[in-house]
Amino acid sequence: MDNSRKKKNLVMLILGMGFIIAALLLLSDIGRNFPGKNRVITVGAFSDSYWEVPNGYSYQILEDAIALFEEQNPGIKVEYVSGILKEDYPEWLSEQLILGNAPDVFLVPGEYFNDLAEIGALKDLSEMIEDDTGFEKEAFYSSVFAYGMYDEGQYALPYECAPKLMFVNKSILDKEGLEVPKEDWTWDDFYEICRAVTKDADGNGTLDQFGAVEYTWEEAFDSNGVKLFNRQGTECYFADEQVEEAIVFVEKLQKLYEGYNITARDFDLGKVAFQPMLFSEYRAYKPYPLSIKKYSGFEWECISMPAGKSGSNIAGLDTLMVAMNENTVNQEYAWEFMKLLTYDEGIQSEIFDYSEGVSVLKKVTESDQTLQLLIESSGEDSGFNLNVLSNAVENAVVIPRFRNYEEAVAQVDKAVGDIIEGSSNISMEQIIWNRKINNFLKDKEGR
Amino acid sequence: MEEKRAPDIIFKCMTSLNLIIILYIAGSMAASLTGYVRENTALSFLQQVNAVTIVPWKIPIAALLLYGGLLFFLAVQNESGLLFYVKTGLEIIISLLISYLLNFSYTGMLLLILADVTRRFPKAKRKFAVIGIICGVYLLSDYNLVSGRYGITALDTYLAYYRSDVQAIMLGLRNVLNSLNILIFIFYIILLIREQMSEKERILSLNDKLNEANEELRLANIQMEEYARESIKNAETRERNRLAREIHDTLGHTLTGIITGLDACVTLVDAAPDATKEQLKVIADVARNGMTDVRRSVKALRPDALEKMELPKALTAMIDEMKKATHAQIEYDCTAALKNFNKDEEEIIYRIVQESITNAIRHGKADKIWISISMEYNVLSVKIKDNGVGCAKIEKGFGLHHMEERLNMLHGSLYCNGEEGFLMEAKIPIRWGEEA
Repeated sequence: MDNSRKKKNLVMLILGMGFIIAALLLLSDIGRNFPGKNRVITVGAFSDSYWEVPNGYSYQILEDAIALFEEQNPGIKVEYVSGILKEDYPEWLSEQLILGNAPDVFLVPGEYFNDLAEIGALKDLSEMIEDDTGFEKEAFYSSVFAYGMYDEGQYALPYECAPKLMFVNKSILDKEGLEVPKEDWTWDDFYEICRAVTKDADGNGTLDQFGAVEYTWEEAFDSNGVKLFNRQGTECYFADEQVEEAIVFVEKLQKLYEGYNITARDFDLGKVAFQPMLFSEYRAYKPYPLSIKKYSGFEWECISMPAGKSGSNIAGLDTLMVAMNENTVNQEYAWEFMKLLTYDEGIQSEIFDYSEGVSVLKKVTESDQTLQLLIESSGEDSGFNLNVLSNAVENAVVIPRFRNYEEAVAQVDKAVGDIIEGSSNISMEQIIWNRKINNFLKDKEGR
Repeated sequence: MEEKRAPDIIFKCMTSLNLIIILYIAGSMAASLTGYVRENTALSFLQQVNAVTIVPWKIPIAALLLYGGLLFFLAVQNESGLLFYVKTGLEIIISLLISYLLNFSYTGMLLLILADVTRRFPKAKRKFAVIGIICGVYLLSDYNLVSGRYGITALDTYLAYYRSDVQAIMLGLRNVLNSLNILIFIFYIILLIREQMSEKERILSLNDKLNEANEELRLANIQMEEYARESIKNAETRERNRLAREIHDTLGHTLTGIITGLDACVTLVDAAPDATKEQLKVIADVARNGMTDVRRSVKALRPDALEKMELPKALTAMIDEMKKATHAQIEYDCTAALKNFNKDEEEIIYRIVQESITNAIRHGKADKIWISISMEYNVLSVKIKDNGVGCAKIEKGFGLHHMEERLNMLHGSLYCNGEEGFLMEAKIPIRWGEEA
């Protein structure tokens, strides 16, 4: 081989390598790593309350956290885009992710967590949690903390939550001479009360007072210890005995109403004794002026869910989480800021001041200060039991985290509806449906 | 030469086509992404994908840069071991990177690499292993195989942004371009095979020609051998002829004279004894002369001085001997440097001089001979003149004829003139350049 060819080859190799390195640099976002640029942390948040109730303090907690953070970390600025409504937020976040402008730290509504974790938009925080000696995950309610897990990794920290509780129309129970159930009441107690209150109160020939609305198979499953799916979402346990018990119970309950279609509106009007709702509703409507507006004409209270035969007095939970952008270049400060939002007791206690949710920190939620605040805002000096709240959060059912969870649940919903409406053997139907749902899961997983 | 270029042209076509396909797919992906963002349907899109997408404007630019890098690597021409493997390995990695950028909706760059390997590296030892690896990667880098494991989103999901009929056209165009790439690749391979086959044919026909030439050469060799044998025979015959002539010229002549003289003596002896005495004296002279001639002839037939000495010395020795033997006066003048002749030339120069002197004395009865040898422009001229009887009409006897033949073999010429005494001039072109 002659020299000129050797030289030419060398030039070609160098040029080729140059182009490839340029492409890799472009793809790896090296430009954002230049010193001076990483002194700003961006945060994604929305302007209204996560709990769908009017709220005048949209960015209050965030602003306070930013002020505290900038004081603790001089020279680092935290910025956020204001004015994004909660309903537009997922779309806004998706667009920012596509355009590569997603903030370093952003709020993740529970229902979008699976998708975001699956597509790799969120950073796995496991190592940071392990390495940070000043961070004890035991300070969080374990169930709420587990909501941020996906595939063995911790992809988000909980920011605020709201457990599902049973709302009781005390006025109806009083009228019927019934006691408000105790904390550890069971399905039998629940059924008895429902049976007792379901009647034609005004005597016009149609039922106008009912036991419970929106108590569906989901609540029954949760409180009967049903584990519907395995963690990876590859298998369904719909044929279990607890499932059968729950279906039988829901069917029994429905039979009381003789085919009447009861809605949440009926509860608002004071015609229904029980409705499962998120605690945030209680926070939103318990204070005096708002309670007039929504639930006029009756006294109400929230208690734990009735326990099933094989389960306990627990239910699901909704949570708002904070996650880190997988591509953040400010990992260190982003983590610090996330910690401030979720782990700082001062900031977390503001949730009770400015939001309708519940703090994810045990110490904050179970403090006297919180009890005082709840009692003050409810306008009643007795009655509220903080244990109900902390038990509901601590023991809340952790739903499995996999991408097609919502669709799988829709399948189960269809299955339960089908079984209740049909007349054939329940356990037989369960096996058939279990096979169907398993096929669905396998199909989805394969894609 | 024209034919050798055809695969190169097709290879260029392939590189251009690949560029178009890559730009087309990367462009439509970027356009779809910006479309989703513009129309606020990014959320539903992200819920369909398997991984966060790459920033729209970066897709075509990164793809172009990577493809540029690939082209540079393809331009590296090297058949030696390590560099070849490194280069091919890098090319495969770049192709996979581009495919990854395009969500494995196109992997035709691998065919480009395959084409390059088959074309440029006919000698690489493990070429077939490399080809096997490339084929394997090409087969396995199918979207449906890869997507499950590595979180890759189908091109269809991107294109879902467009109306379904537009979508169908866009996907169709991608498929058409992809098929075109495969077709061009096949065409390329066919041409390459054809070219290699014609190369083989050419080698075969060259081989045939070589065999033919060999056969001819062999025949020519045989002919040469025959010729050599013949020329040895010729030389023998010539030598025999010379012997015969010498015998005839000397002994024959002398004996005839003696016989005739003796016959006359037999008749005269009784009638005139004195005249007979006189006659016998003459006969004795003739016999003596004949003896001299025989001596000279024997000397001429003896192995030559030429075999023992250099040409100039041999010539002077021969001339001196002639002087002594014949009492003729010989003047010798040589102006040329008699050096660096080949054997043929030395032989003929020597023989011409020897023969001319013999002729002059024997036939011309000369008592004075001039010999001059000179050189002019690579032509050696040997001139011999005598004061003998000469001859009005030159009959080329055995000697002259023989001399002319030998001169002709050396492309020389012979000139004779017998008007005043006898003049003979031989011209010999000297070929120093060829042999000396």
